[in-house]
Amino acid sequence: MRGWLQKGTASFWPGLLVGLFILAAPRGLQPAGRVGRDVLVPCARNVSSELKRYEASHTSMGTEFTVVAYGQDVRLLAETVEEVFQEIDRIDKQMSNYKPESELSLINREAASRVVRVEPSLYALIQKSLQYSEDTGGAFDITVGPLMKAWGFFRGEGRVPSPGELHGVLAHVGYQHVKLDPANRTIHFDVPGIELDLGGIAKGYAVDRAVSILRENGVTAALVSSGMSSIYALGAPPDEEGWKIILRDPFDSTVPANVVYLRNFSMSTSGNYNKFFRLGGKTYSHIMDPHTGMPVENMLSTTVFVANATDSDALSKLYVLGAEGSRRYLATHPSIQALFYLPAGSEKQFKRVLLQSDSYNLPPDTLVKILR
Amino acid sequence: MDEQGEVTRREFLKTATTATAVLVLPRLSEGASQPGVASSNSTVNYGIIGTGTEGCSLLRALTRISGAQCVATCDIYPPNQKKGIETAGSNPQLYEDYRRLLDRKDIDAVLIATPLHLHASMLLDTLSAGKHVFVEKSMFFKEEEEIPIRKAAAAHPKQVVQIGLQRRSDALYQCAIDMIRAGAVGKVMFVRAQWHRNSDWRRPVHDPKYERLINWRMYREYSGGLMAELASHQIDVANWAIGAEPLSVVGTGGIDYWKDGRETCDNAQTIFEYPGGQKLVWSSILCNAHYDFNEQIMGDRGTIEITLGKGLFYTEHVAKVSQGATKESWWAGATVTELAKQQGLPIFPETVPPNEGFFGREHRYARAWLMRHGYKTIPENDAWYEELTNFIASVQDSKPVACGLDQGIADARAVIYGNRAIDTGRKVFWPKTIG
Repeated sequence: MRGWLQKGTASFWPGLLVGLFILAAPRGLQPAGRVGRDVLVPCARNVSSELKRYEASHTSMGTEFTVVAYGQDVRLLAETVEEVFQEIDRIDKQMSNYKPESELSLINREAASRVVRVEPSLYALIQKSLQYSEDTGGAFDITVGPLMKAWGFFRGEGRVPSPGELHGVLAHVGYQHVKLDPANRTIHFDVPGIELDLGGIAKGYAVDRAVSILRENGVTAALVSSGMSSIYALGAPPDEEGWKIILRDPFDSTVPANVVYLRNFSMSTSGNYNKFFRLGGKTYSHIMDPHTGMPVENMLSTTVFVANATDSDALSKLYVLGAEGSRRYLATHPSIQALFYLPAGSEKQFKRVLLQSDSYNLPPDTLVKILR
Repeated sequence: MDEQGEVTRREFLKTATTATAVLVLPRLSEGASQPGVASSNSTVNYGIIGTGTEGCSLLRALTRISGAQCVATCDIYPPNQKKGIETAGSNPQLYEDYRRLLDRKDIDAVLIATPLHLHASMLLDTLSAGKHVFVEKSMFFKEEEEIPIRKAAAAHPKQVVQIGLQRRSDALYQCAIDMIRAGAVGKVMFVRAQWHRNSDWRRPVHDPKYERLINWRMYREYSGGLMAELASHQIDVANWAIGAEPLSVVGTGGIDYWKDGRETCDNAQTIFEYPGGQKLVWSSILCNAHYDFNEQIMGDRGTIEITLGKGLFYTEHVAKVSQGATKESWWAGATVTELAKQQGLPIFPETVPPNEGFFGREHRYARAWLMRHGYKTIPENDAWYEELTNFIASVQDSKPVACGLDQGIADARAVIYGNRAIDTGRKVFWPKTIG
């Protein structure tokens, strides 16, 4: 079935039209009931040419992934989304540091004592992560695992580590301890105690993989989100210029702060208002500054708009650099926008800072519209 | 609501209060003034018939209510007489004959916490005596008691009648039912409930001549067994959640473990069927307490697991299919902590801001869960205290009772028919019309 759907080339559109025509042909009576994964299809009969909207969610990687897709054939949408969720589960199984049996956990256990061969897509993601570390001066760092644990955010509820403890932990934090060998596709840690944690990039990566699968199956309008913190807007909903996404007020989840319209673009948000704990009257966020080992302060949330979700997820860690601190990155990396919400002195007030890459050129058929 | 009438997750709780007003409130007591009570500021003088374990639970809660004063207790078993007087702490008059208690003109309200076989006659006598009445569940013992009770209640419309199904007064349960009415679990099709214990369910008896009195629950002359004592609460929860009474019931039971001369089953399993095809599957055993007691209310979009002091809400992952375009609008934000959702969101009967959307509420619950290190119990929300506060307020002020005549009758019928199904081994059907 997928042979007709060719991606990314000039033959895409005719192939797609042919594909849709064939898929749209009546399949005879379909009984009401369940299609694929728990789809309640009330009395679906022959597949009409009317557009259907399909929405499904799936828990994985410690969050809830949601896909909304438009298409003519609900059965195909259901099967495609099922494949999306299976791929996300596969990524979770491979990359989760909460699963001792994952490839990532094995690397964490063994790469200090030996060189470990890595599966290609994981290797590529780690490689990309290290590049981000270099480019952000270490603001993004996948070796912050021990730091997260020290602060009690790994399976815990939060605790404040002593300065001595923190100093000890920082000896095992730092992307420069991760050594990659591209010729052999292997990884090695040059000190013991290094722990990789892909939590800052894996969900964005999973969203991108989801979008690939949707595109491969001819879907042209869909929204994919991981917990609504990493989002990719594929195409636009019918009769709309883009997918409408509301950024919430950092102090009140029911109040909008900005409205965004996206088409064929991604956004990711890092914020301190969902995963945090309070101790002694102070609020500690879960976003660590890898240099100091302390949670970042003076930042409420950072939303970054980039062409793909892997990058938007990683770059939402510009949160760590802050607005001014991110200018240098934006000067040297094109086509990114970053929207910062910063505390503004008094209780529950915040201010917005919107920055853009010095070089900003959106590809064709994309839209990033940010409104108050 | 989207085009197909499905309630989207964002709209769950918007109309909760209006939805529950019709379904939760029973018939209101009529008339502005109640016999024997001048105004809402005057104290309600009450007597209690039966001061055993349950009666003393009621008394302990009542002693915390400032508008209520115990002026009389009644029991025929000396140790319980003593317990009752001590628990009341108000130096009440002791009676052995409850009719003498009912003769007192200064008593406004009476609570009945005697063995089940006495409920109906005492209830009728209390109504005849012009008193407001709170009767423990289940409301009556034999099928033929229903009609006289209905007639008596109709003949004494100004008197409050409340049944001791305390979950109806419990804020956690009320919140759960609000969520169900608002569509949080979708269409409720299945309720599973169990009440499992690992004990012989006996009370200690020093003098064998009191065996049938103290352990009345073991004897068919007085007791409806596990169905009446335990299932009663849970059948009422299912009726409440489903919004209907059952149509039929099948069941089994036996004396299979505690073979100690008892007459009532030491384990029972019943399946109730409701008008929309919904089912309640209920079990009680006395040889394993691992699953304790709770109700699990399952709808096609979610699940609520609930018991006194603890309620959890889980969503189902069901794809939603609809025609054509929706006005798409999505809220973004930093990662919603999923751990809480995988383990169930705790239900908190906090006051909800009027316009709070579903995501806002979920965020709030997840934060509260994280910050409180586990499930929140609500010690101040004692269900006995709540139901009795409700009763006293109803006596003073004609406030509607949380559990009134219709709920009590529906519950008692279900118990009776459930026991009949177990005894006969046949499916028992509700009569088509109420007699």
